[in-house]
Amino acid sequence: MDTTLSTPTTGPRLSHTEITNMASTYSHEWRAVCDKFNNAQDLSEVESRKDPENDPFRSKYKARELLREIYCSLKNFDVGENESVNDEADQRPTEQPVDGGMEEGFGRGHCGDSPAGSRAAKLGAVEYYLGVNHVETEELSAGEEHLMNCMTLLEKCSISPENVSLFIQVRNQLGILWAGRDEIEKAQGFLETAEAMYIRYMKEDGQPPMDLTEFFVAEEEALPQQERTKRFEMAYTHTLYYLAQVYKNLEQYEKAGGYCHSTLQRQLEFNQFIPLEWAINAATLSQYYITKTLYMEGRHCLSAASVIADLAGEVPSEAAAQESEAEAEKRDQLRQKRAEIARCWIKYCLNLLQDAKKLLEDNIGELDMDRQAELRATRLQEEEEKERGRKSAVLFGSSDTFDSICGLEEKVSCVFPVDFEEARAIFLVGQTYVNQAKEYFEMDGHVTDHIEILQDHSALFKALAFFEEDLERRCKMHKRRVDMMEPICKDLNAQYYLLVCRQLQFELAETYYEMMDLKLAVANKQDDLDAHTVKKFNHLCSSSTKFYQMFLDSVRSPEGKWPDKLEDEVLRPALVAKFRVARLHSRLISSSKTVQLENLNRALECYNFVVQYCKDNPEAKSAIETELELSEEMVSLLPLKINRLQANLASSN
Amino acid sequence: MQHQQITHSGDSDSIKVFVRVRPLTQGTGLTTDGDQGLCLSVTSPNTIRLHSKPEPRTFTYDHVADMDITQDSVFSSVAKNIVESCINGYNGTIFAYGQTGSGKTFTMLGPSDFDNFTDDQRGVIPRSFEYLFFLINRESENAKSFLCKCSFIEIYNEQIYDLLDSASASLFLRENIKKGVFVEGAVEKFVTSAAEAYQVLSMGWRNRRVASTSMNRESSRSHAVFTMTLESKETAKEVVNIRTSQLNLVDLAGSERQRDTHTDGSRLKEASSINRSLMCLGQVIMALVDVSNGKSRHICYRDSKLTFLLRDSLGGNAKTYIIANVHPGSKCFGETLSTLQFAQRAKLIKNKAMINEDTQGNVR
Repeated sequence: MDTTLSTPTTGPRLSHTEITNMASTYSHEWRAVCDKFNNAQDLSEVESRKDPENDPFRSKYKARELLREIYCSLKNFDVGENESVNDEADQRPTEQPVDGGMEEGFGRGHCGDSPAGSRAAKLGAVEYYLGVNHVETEELSAGEEHLMNCMTLLEKCSISPENVSLFIQVRNQLGILWAGRDEIEKAQGFLETAEAMYIRYMKEDGQPPMDLTEFFVAEEEALPQQERTKRFEMAYTHTLYYLAQVYKNLEQYEKAGGYCHSTLQRQLEFNQFIPLEWAINAATLSQYYITKTLYMEGRHCLSAASVIADLAGEVPSEAAAQESEAEAEKRDQLRQKRAEIARCWIKYCLNLLQDAKKLLEDNIGELDMDRQAELRATRLQEEEEKERGRKSAVLFGSSDTFDSICGLEEKVSCVFPVDFEEARAIFLVGQTYVNQAKEYFEMDGHVTDHIEILQDHSALFKALAFFEEDLERRCKMHKRRVDMMEPICKDLNAQYYLLVCRQLQFELAETYYEMMDLKLAVANKQDDLDAHTVKKFNHLCSSSTKFYQMFLDSVRSPEGKWPDKLEDEVLRPALVAKFRVARLHSRLISSSKTVQLENLNRALECYNFVVQYCKDNPEAKSAIETELELSEEMVSLLPLKINRLQANLASSN
Repeated sequence: MQHQQITHSGDSDSIKVFVRVRPLTQGTGLTTDGDQGLCLSVTSPNTIRLHSKPEPRTFTYDHVADMDITQDSVFSSVAKNIVESCINGYNGTIFAYGQTGSGKTFTMLGPSDFDNFTDDQRGVIPRSFEYLFFLINRESENAKSFLCKCSFIEIYNEQIYDLLDSASASLFLRENIKKGVFVEGAVEKFVTSAAEAYQVLSMGWRNRRVASTSMNRESSRSHAVFTMTLESKETAKEVVNIRTSQLNLVDLAGSERQRDTHTDGSRLKEASSINRSLMCLGQVIMALVDVSNGKSRHICYRDSKLTFLLRDSLGGNAKTYIIANVHPGSKCFGETLSTLQFAQRAKLIKNKAMINEDTQGNVR
């Protein structure tokens, strides 16, 4: 063979001529090989989809035959033609290469683009396709053998633009194969090596490498550089995508999250994505970040999700949807997915507010001024640090979308709010998304979703109320929560929505309880209680009682029987409800001693219930320690008070 | 202050599991024909031992029925109580689960010919109809009146088809504040006797077969849901008391088909090169989000149609029985194991939703 085949020192090394040259003296036979390869590809990827159900692998088997023929021809081409390619038998390593030791196997043996290297790569490619073919036809061990043959052939070569794709893709396949056999660590080894090879290749060489299919095409059909890049990067994206799954299976969630992030980023960068699907994945990833308190990352994912979802196009009008089924489906899809992303945004705002609240509250749940000052001071410093961290983090965006994503990010903060103004800004963003989400998730048709959104809205108000210093205004915020939940709680059919009903009842009871507390705090600042305030206060007390009672009634059997033993899941809420009802009764204000007595007796009854229940079911004690302690105290104190009142009442009569 | 979340799942015992072992038979076309080796034995009325290697494994359920159990006692243990609850206003669901050929249809319907309303071998469904109408007739004597409607749908490939109207296009699931989850536009047929109900069922069942040839789908790949809606009206002292309840009878797709769509285990999902879609990425991320809990988060991926429709039955406000059918032949070991594992997981199904309770009030 021609000696000019050695690597040119300048210019693009990769040359198609070199590869076809090898068989140049056999160009006729080479054409036949290329045709066979095309045929095999077509059978495997197109024809096979039409195979009958009782003969599902017909086309794959035909493709396999062709690949085998190609393999034989290839071996014949080179025999005696190339000195450096000796008989395989003495070259074959005694041990099969096993991946995992990352850099092992790099840069040894033949130059990737030497004739010997080229021959090895071509044979390797056929082995690769044979391997994939066997895996697809459920002959895993035969598949493994072919893929390992490919590895062995490559072992002798250094990485070059001709073979780097093959290096990576054969490892992708082996990764899938071993994961399928439940040997995740083995899969991890192959995939991590593939990852390392990509990184090293890009660092040391970086020109668009040859695609696997190009081993078997005529010169004039070589792929353009751009297409080569695309396919190569795609193969690597798949490596990362498989690694994400591997790490998930190994329960290395942080790593898995990182690889999901990189996969998404690369899909965007190389324009290999379906906008809505991508957006939903990014929005879901944001939820991972917010559960890890990584708000900057969460916000970034959400902004990207919103921007990319917009790339999916305009929502068809209602009229258009009525005209055609396709438009109707598109309309539904777009509206639904955007509403879903809005809901992820709601959770972002909600968690940010709630986490800030947790940081700032004192031991009775009020805003702690010292902590507020502290947080303000440390924040400046933190922001700078975060900015630095940010630069090292992976950012989403292609050239067209990057600015819009950053623009959207600026609309909401990602640091904990410290005062009402800051909290309100986050609240308002959350509220905008609430309204957006409700447009699609209407009550009629999406009951559960709609109510979940309302519950989030209520939670947003609750978190905001924490930052409000004016108690009257705080009370009004809670009133807004009541207004959005109370009507639904009345209409909702408990037979189908028992759990949601209970959630609403409990939350309404707590909200009224909270309002009652606030009213009391306001009243305490005044000198004396006017009749209006008393009326209002009593009204809040009985409303709270009413909803606790509704919740408690839902625990009863349809015949109205109270269960001897509470289910684990309602144990604490039910006992807490009893306890609160007791307190509410003892707080009701009345000038009539008879009514006072009645209320105290009912309170005692409820306290007794809690104490008695825990006596009968000692395992319940741990669930409501504080409440039980207070109940026991009240059970010993209240009778004295009741007796005194009774005596008082008797003497006045 | 502590902030606590409390999970809750209605009646924790709402899901009961009944395992039925079918007898070995010849000539059914199963791969196990002629194979007399057994892979399991029933060790007590609620335990089953699987002869796995190296150690045999024992599974415990609410009830385990061996090969010789009669259709009548299956009905008594599984359905009787549920039908009674339906009359009293509870919702009830009976699922049949298992590998194709493990006896699901036999358990639910009975022998394959359809005019066997008096046949001793008739299955859970005809018996439920009889018992339901027996109870209705009895209750009707006490100033209580009943209205009974049936619908029958099929879920195939995440599409919903109406088996009582084979001409209809696919239907949608919707939710209503009063009615809960329902299939919009599904035909509802009024029935006044067990025979009529059975007629509706067999008509739909025939449609299922028709559909399976016309659209080249196998019945074992689709779920069929037969729903009876019962409305009772009781007038006492001029107060009218109306109650509704639902009885769902569900024939799930063969468990071996479920596996195709299942992504559990360590198997990696491959990238489909055709549409550049990395389909599984979302599931991976979802798994990450599910791990770190305690925070409020939104998951964008929707329930499957079946779980959405039967949400109440799976950990909600309903009485539910799952009948897991298994084939004892040793060649079915793999499928039997996965069915038994599914049935055990089913016991653990609980509604994941929570009651959020903010306990800050307790110190004031």
